[in-house]
Amino acid sequence: MRTMIIITAMCLVTASVAFGDTPNETFLQGNAHFEARHFDSALQAYSQVLDQGMQSAPLYFNMGNASFRSGDLGHAILYYLKARRLDPADPDIISNLDFARRFTSVQMEGVALNPVSSLFESIVEPHQLTTLAWLLTASSFLFFACMVARFGLGYRNSIVRTGIYNSLLLLLVVATLTTVKFDYDYLTQRAVVIAETAEVHTGPSELSDKELDAVPGLIVEILSESGDYYNVLFENKRRGWIKKELLAVV
Amino acid sequence: MTGRSCIVRSLVLIGLFLIGTIAVAQTPPALEVSVALSQDTISMDEQAVLQVMVSGSAQDIPDPRLPTLPMFEILSQGRSTNVNYTNGKLDASVTHRYLLIPSKTGVFPIEPISVVMGNRRYAGNTVTLTVVGRGVQTSDQDENKGRDSDGNSRDLFAEAVIDNNNPYVNQQVTLTLKLYVAVQTYGSPSLVEPTTTGFWTELLGTNGPYQQRLNNRTYRVIERKYALFPTKTGELSIGRATFTATVATKRQNRRRDPFDIFGMLGGGQEMQVRSQPLTVNVKPLPTAGRPGDFSGTIGRFTFKATPTKREVEVNQPVSVNFAITGVGNIKSVAEPAIPDLPDFRVYRASSNESISKHNDRIGGTKNFEEVFIPNRPGKLTIPSLSFNFFDPQAERYRTVHTQAIELEVIKTEGYVASPEMPYAAPDNVISSDARDIRYIKSDPGDLSRRAEIVFASPIYWAVNGVPVLALLATVLVRRRRERLQGDVGYARARQASKAARRRLARARKLASEGASSQFFVEISQVLLSFIGDKLNLSPHGLTTDKIAQLLRERGAEAALVNTTLEFLKRCDFARYAPASVGEDDISETLAEAEDLMVRMEEVRF
Repeated sequence: MRTMIIITAMCLVTASVAFGDTPNETFLQGNAHFEARHFDSALQAYSQVLDQGMQSAPLYFNMGNASFRSGDLGHAILYYLKARRLDPADPDIISNLDFARRFTSVQMEGVALNPVSSLFESIVEPHQLTTLAWLLTASSFLFFACMVARFGLGYRNSIVRTGIYNSLLLLLVVATLTTVKFDYDYLTQRAVVIAETAEVHTGPSELSDKELDAVPGLIVEILSESGDYYNVLFENKRRGWIKKELLAVV
Repeated sequence: MTGRSCIVRSLVLIGLFLIGTIAVAQTPPALEVSVALSQDTISMDEQAVLQVMVSGSAQDIPDPRLPTLPMFEILSQGRSTNVNYTNGKLDASVTHRYLLIPSKTGVFPIEPISVVMGNRRYAGNTVTLTVVGRGVQTSDQDENKGRDSDGNSRDLFAEAVIDNNNPYVNQQVTLTLKLYVAVQTYGSPSLVEPTTTGFWTELLGTNGPYQQRLNNRTYRVIERKYALFPTKTGELSIGRATFTATVATKRQNRRRDPFDIFGMLGGGQEMQVRSQPLTVNVKPLPTAGRPGDFSGTIGRFTFKATPTKREVEVNQPVSVNFAITGVGNIKSVAEPAIPDLPDFRVYRASSNESISKHNDRIGGTKNFEEVFIPNRPGKLTIPSLSFNFFDPQAERYRTVHTQAIELEVIKTEGYVASPEMPYAAPDNVISSDARDIRYIKSDPGDLSRRAEIVFASPIYWAVNGVPVLALLATVLVRRRRERLQGDVGYARARQASKAARRRLARARKLASEGASSQFFVEISQVLLSFIGDKLNLSPHGLTTDKIAQLLRERGAEAALVNTTLEFLKRCDFARYAPASVGEDDISETLAEAEDLMVRMEEVRF
């Protein structure tokens, strides 16, 4: 009986997809496939929502789950990263990304990370760029309000003076954090290793010496490109050239 | 002897001397060409030195012409010159040396080598060089590798040696290239590496220069070693290495350059020497005793497994590092096979290798990082893994094992026996303590078009521009207010139009009340006050002449000045003869006053 219900639901889902559904409906169809443990079909449905030009953090989150259950660790981490970019504070996304990344716990020798940049990145990571940008605007309003009081209205008391210094400090801090976030999310191009075997070479050619073997799910920073290869920086600061087809850009 | 016969005799002697001198001068100096080989018979692995010596009494001895020798590769090894003056007689010789590298076997007579000088051709003797196959012991081959066929020691020569010419496939063969130098050289010799097709090659390093005695001569020896791993069976060749060095040329019987104190200004001559090619006969690994899961690794290794922890919760990952350490081609070490383990999910995390070079042997460690996730609580065991390799020294296959790893797997709160979804309440799971992924979201959230980033939005920049504009505006307003308060002239000029409009309204009211005399007083004051405000002067001290002068000084047009003066005169006249003024005149005067003030706004006061 249960099988019949599932088959009927699948048929309805397939028919509705064929006749064109709203993105919301297609998303729910993907969920139905997932619950029926048809992870590939679920991914297909979620991808249709993307094809319609729509995106959301839950959509990428569910795509990550479907990929993880399919055993595609690279794409799972890719989608979790995309979800986190849209909603950095969602604990589900953080938890699943954290969990999935345990399976890529490579232990390559490396250089210690820069503690200053790590601190900044850990501060801005839970926040969206839009949030920080509007916080920067609010700080700017506060600073200019103090400036108007001092130079526009001529108030010269200590409250206004302290307000200028403090609001300027706040403005600089928020501007720095916003810049770090902008750099982290948009200026720095990141990618995830999606291929099962990914050789990293010392140059942009198969003839170059092999630097290391990368595994699915490793996150890299793209530094440059040459032909079919990306020059990438791994999280432990090792560099190398890897074929573009073995990576998916976040 | 009479005086006449003495004269005749002297003339005869002089004549004979002159004839002899002319005859000697017209006879070209005789040259002799001598050709010699360092060895009459060489193998394909060897090379012979062809020496051509041209000697004679000439100063400029030309270079010899070599015949075509297609079966040899010919490399010039330079020339040396010897010039002697003994009792006024010149005796010179030039020796040319050529390295002959055979390309095929056979008996090859070398045609006479000739030198052409003064339209005469001088030919040397014929020599024959026999080339036999590789590995054949030739009669000339001797242990004194530093000697040529004349028994003279060589100044510069190269040698290639391998430690094993019959290795197993993938077994290391060490190739040593040596350059022996017994003369002064300039700079460092350059090397064209030998071709090693069919080998995986790793450079072991360069030693030297160190000194070595050979044939009672001290050589500086530069040594370069390679580890070669044959990748296939059969006969493999190692090509020749070519060293190029700039050798100081010898200056014999020449006057020493007074500025060349240390002999450093002597010319250098580039010389090339090549090592002999080598052949390696690679044998396959024995089939007897070969394990079924043998992966082709050769060497001598140990195998060790180290877990990151021994106590773990259910569905928590444990990383195990499998390290294979030893001597051999570490890059070719294959991942150890892990059997199906029902109690674990196993993921391969990474592999890395560190290569070491010790005593001319390649070795190191290859690490395989595997992640084991226990499915159930209890005492679970990651079994012992095995790794096979072929030990070429013992000539047999060996198997090494890791220790079995005992894990204490703890049952956690909320655990249910499902490999996929161990938690009924995923919301209770927090970040790093997660045992599985959290379940999918039922709400698609805010599905929206892929938005631009906030910094690309004009609204964002417009909003951010507001406080900047507000600051500018308030600062400007404040400055204006302060100037109005502090600068009376500026304040009067800025307020002139406003004050004039007030007075005009009052004049209009007087006109409507029929007080024409007072109207003209007021309208006259409107214009005078306007000009006074603009010029920051009292209107009471302004006469028509003064007004005309001030307006002209500020560049007012003559028409405007005249009209203003005419207007003021008419107002004065009307004040004292109000009966002559009609209602139309009042309206025209009002309009004219307004027009005049508008025109005066354009004057720069």
